[in-house]
Amino acid sequence: MAYEKVNECYIVKDLYYAVEDNTWVRVNDDGTVTIGMTDVAQSLAGPILHAKAKKPGMHRKKGKPIATVESGKWVGPVKSPVSGEIVEINEELAKDARVLNKSPYYKGWIIKMKPDNLEADLADLVTGDAAVEAYRAKIEKDGVTCTHIEGTEEPA
Amino acid sequence: MEDLEGKKILVIQTHGVDTPTRTYSPIYYAIAAAAMEMEVMIWFTMNGTNQLKKGEAEKVSLKPESGVTLKTMLDMALDNDVKLAVCQQSLELWDMKPEDLIEGVEILGATSIIDLALEYDHVMYF
Repeated sequence: MAYEKVNECYIVKDLYYAVEDNTWVRVNDDGTVTIGMTDVAQSLAGPILHAKAKKPGMHRKKGKPIATVESGKWVGPVKSPVSGEIVEINEELAKDARVLNKSPYYKGWIIKMKPDNLEADLADLVTGDAAVEAYRAKIEKDGVTCTHIEGTEEPA
Repeated sequence: MEDLEGKKILVIQTHGVDTPTRTYSPIYYAIAAAAMEMEVMIWFTMNGTNQLKKGEAEKVSLKPESGVTLKTMLDMALDNDVKLAVCQQSLELWDMKPEDLIEGVEILGATSIIDLALEYDHVMYF
């Protein structure tokens, strides 16, 4: 299976994760990366009301915010797991931020970035079974159980 | 929109545990500003001071089913590098000593608020 479920939280195996920041990276064929927030992140935030991504053209260092996300009970930055230039933002988020809840790994992607040094940044992230195990440890430590709103898509 | 990174926002909170519905939003706005990479300080004075007494903010919850208390919000603010400061004179109003304060709160005198108000880019009063 291309994904695993831990305490109801989906972890898609072909993504790279910054587990502490609850973000993921998808490596695209054209040299860009797509970045988003995880199922754990959307569960902790609850139904998301607004999401505002930084502008295309902006350079972000790893760890700096690429977006701010607001729910009724939480507001915070989405920290970039890699350094690079933002080349595209997901315009759908401005229309309906709940797509972050319903499809955090697919339709709810946040930005696309042209990375500065992807190889070095990926070395600090986890993927595949290692990601599942890292998340299992975090989920157990933090006592997280993921929740999904109506219309949530199961990962492919 | 101009780049907001590095702008400084001062939030003045005068509402405390006796009026829960007036306590959450100022902290929420402060965290939002911090998430937008601004430098943010919340200055607690008047009734606002009493939420900083150890054990008090945990008792305040707008929606109990959410599991989010006022203490959760204060912790979230600190996690996002929002500075928390309390007016020294207001501690006396509530018979509070420095050791009664939750972790992470700076005590400043009344003259500091004047300096800060002039120094910061914008001041929000609640």
